[in-house]
Amino acid sequence: LSARHEEDRFALLASIDEVADGTVLLSETVARLLEYVVPAFADVATLDTISREGVFRRIGSRVEGPGREELEKGLLRRRPVPEAPVGLPAALASGESQLIERVTDEHLRTIAADDADFALLRALELRSVLDVPLLARGRIVGALACGVGTSGRDYGPEDLRFAEVLSTRLALALDNAGLSAALTGLEQRLEVTLTNLAEAVIVRDARGSIAFANPAAARLLGVASVDEITAALPGTLMALYDVFDEDGRRLSLTDLPSMLAVRGERPGPLLVNNIVRATGEQRWLLHKATPVFDADGALSMVISVIEDLTEVKRAERAQRLLAEAGQALSSSLDYHQSLQRMAELAVSGLADRCQVLMRGGNGELEEVATAVGESATDRPAGEAGEVRQQELAVAAEVVETDHARLAGRVIVVPLALVGQPPIGALFLGMTESGRTFDESDLRLARELGRRAAIAVENARLYAERSLIATILQRSLLPPELPEIPGFRLDSLYVAAGEQNEVGGDFYDAFEVQGGWMVVVGDVAGRGADAAALTSLSRYTLRTAGKLLGDPVATLEQLNAALRERPGLSLVSVCCAVLRDMDVRVTADVVLAGHPPAFHVRAGKPEPVGEFAPFLGAYDNGEWTPVTVQFEPSDQLVLYTDGVIDTVGEEERFGEDRLVATLHGAAGATDAVARIEAAVRAFAHGSQADDIAVIAVERLPVRR
Amino acid sequence: VRRAGHLNLELRRIGDASVVSACGDIDLSTVARAAEAMDAARSDRGPVFLDLREVGFMDTSGLRLIIEEQQRAAADGYRFAVFPGSPKVQRLFEIAGLAGDEALFVDPSTLSAASEGD
Repeated sequence: LSARHEEDRFALLASIDEVADGTVLLSETVARLLEYVVPAFADVATLDTISREGVFRRIGSRVEGPGREELEKGLLRRRPVPEAPVGLPAALASGESQLIERVTDEHLRTIAADDADFALLRALELRSVLDVPLLARGRIVGALACGVGTSGRDYGPEDLRFAEVLSTRLALALDNAGLSAALTGLEQRLEVTLTNLAEAVIVRDARGSIAFANPAAARLLGVASVDEITAALPGTLMALYDVFDEDGRRLSLTDLPSMLAVRGERPGPLLVNNIVRATGEQRWLLHKATPVFDADGALSMVISVIEDLTEVKRAERAQRLLAEAGQALSSSLDYHQSLQRMAELAVSGLADRCQVLMRGGNGELEEVATAVGESATDRPAGEAGEVRQQELAVAAEVVETDHARLAGRVIVVPLALVGQPPIGALFLGMTESGRTFDESDLRLARELGRRAAIAVENARLYAERSLIATILQRSLLPPELPEIPGFRLDSLYVAAGEQNEVGGDFYDAFEVQGGWMVVVGDVAGRGADAAALTSLSRYTLRTAGKLLGDPVATLEQLNAALRERPGLSLVSVCCAVLRDMDVRVTADVVLAGHPPAFHVRAGKPEPVGEFAPFLGAYDNGEWTPVTVQFEPSDQLVLYTDGVIDTVGEEERFGEDRLVATLHGAAGATDAVARIEAAVRAFAHGSQADDIAVIAVERLPVRR
Repeated sequence: VRRAGHLNLELRRIGDASVVSACGDIDLSTVARAAEAMDAARSDRGPVFLDLREVGFMDTSGLRLIIEEQQRAAADGYRFAVFPGSPKVQRLFEIAGLAGDEALFVDPSTLSAASEGD
């Protein structure tokens, strides 16, 4: 062997030792080892490993010369035929190196699995082959197969010995690489785990520098990549944020648990309001830090886990704001006041500025409520007007299109009920706090807008109802009682409770076919519904009475009208028809769910009427008239149950007291005055129900 | 002396029957609560009874409630009856032309005797 040859071979061994230092991954090690072997020592080489469990794995192949890639692939797929008495199978089986100095087709047939395999082996144009088991730590860890042919070289026994030396180095390199692979695997697994953790993890070294961060940390802190965190100089990262505690106190890096832990403390969790300065993106982050100590008890690192509580925190805030706003919006029927309170609530957590704009009578938006948060600064005077115009334009567009706007530091949502055109807009702005709005703020703003719209609508409806009720109430009572020849009428009406609450009592007196009808009625319920029902009752009675003249037929008409209404509309009525037939005057009294009328003769009241069902209760009723003779000076007193139900100190007014009150009544006016005085004297507390009384007196002297 | 506008309501289940016992006044100011109690009493076609024995006063709003319940019972096919109240309360039924409605009133003692007989 030439000196040159020896030198080359030592260089090869040295190279392999370099590769064998265990720092390189297995796959890379194999590739580099084969590069040293081919072409320096062989034209063809393969490397195999055998696991402890005996699993054979071809980990590399290299071929020098034409058709190299195809041949390498073919060899990589090859598996040695186990029972072959020569070559690689023999080396693996015996643990001894094999040398075939002159390769024949017969050899190839013996080790080939099939014709295709034989063709592959032939294509290598092998002249000599060496198969050397790789031994490490007392076991066969693999094998090296080398072949020459295309280069014109042959292997001899000397080459076999070199290959054996080579194989020990290769075995060591592979073994180291394997260990290294296992170690790297652990690190990789850890990194993979941390990388995939939803929680942000940041590891600081003992000096506080960031050594590791996972992608979740990058996301949470609003930076593009993990590298931006790990490459950041100490303190520079913190400058990207405005950080506040829950009470709004500004925090610095040294306040954070991770830095407290670096200083040797064991800090508790800290919830911070983290605002990315550049974008205004806001997050609520819970910082937790754990110091890790080495075997000597010295701090080796601090592991911080940062949890994103933004959603939780916002849900909590949204819930609170909506609850408080709901209360504010329903507390008053003056919607200006309600909206103002809502605006004030909005600036205590959601925004720095809040305005409610509503369409005025001319369709222009008008500011109806405005609130500015404590931290907000006023705009420069000159700027204000211009900005104001821009904001109004945006708000007008939102109202026009019914589409909410979210743009950085501004949110504008329509005030609208579902399926109805907006009545205005809710404007939210950020100034001082520097943060921007996001989708969750928009959702909350929308909900506020919807609720504000409901409040406004309710207030409007209420105002409308009040107005309708007032109009109805005016229409319910005749402005003055008619003049009935030969009779005198008097009446009393006391409305109960709130001024806008129209009661259901009514009275009326009008001419009918062949006489006059005098009526009192009571509609169950209160408010606008009751008022509408009262109106219906009164006008039905009037119309039917005039056309039909007969009280029972008249009540049947009203009953039919009430039955047509949805739900149960109950009306009680006491109806009297006065018929003046020259000398003889009669009164036909019909009751429907109503207490009796009183016929007062010579100061003595007598109940009149046959009890019968309410109007509106059943399709058919038995309403029966009771006829009384109406002598001069007789009175007929009709009243609603508000009189007898009047609440006294200890009991209700009652029918007996009414009888006593009417005892000695000298006429219609006297009867009404007595009732009014008695009820007033008796009543304790506010009047709970309406009172309607109508009294008719036959004048003693005919005209 | 019971204050006006005061009403205590109690709902009891006896077998499949529900009994709403009213104690106090059923009037404009309390009728909404009485209506809620009736709503709660209705269950799965079991009979519903309204006990008026401890009712000191009732006005037409109470009567309206009873008529509504009576009509709902007829429509939905369950039994509804009232344990008659004081003469003052019964006077109201009289005024409403319901005093002769035998199906509307039930003597609670005959009711328990009947259920014991079952």
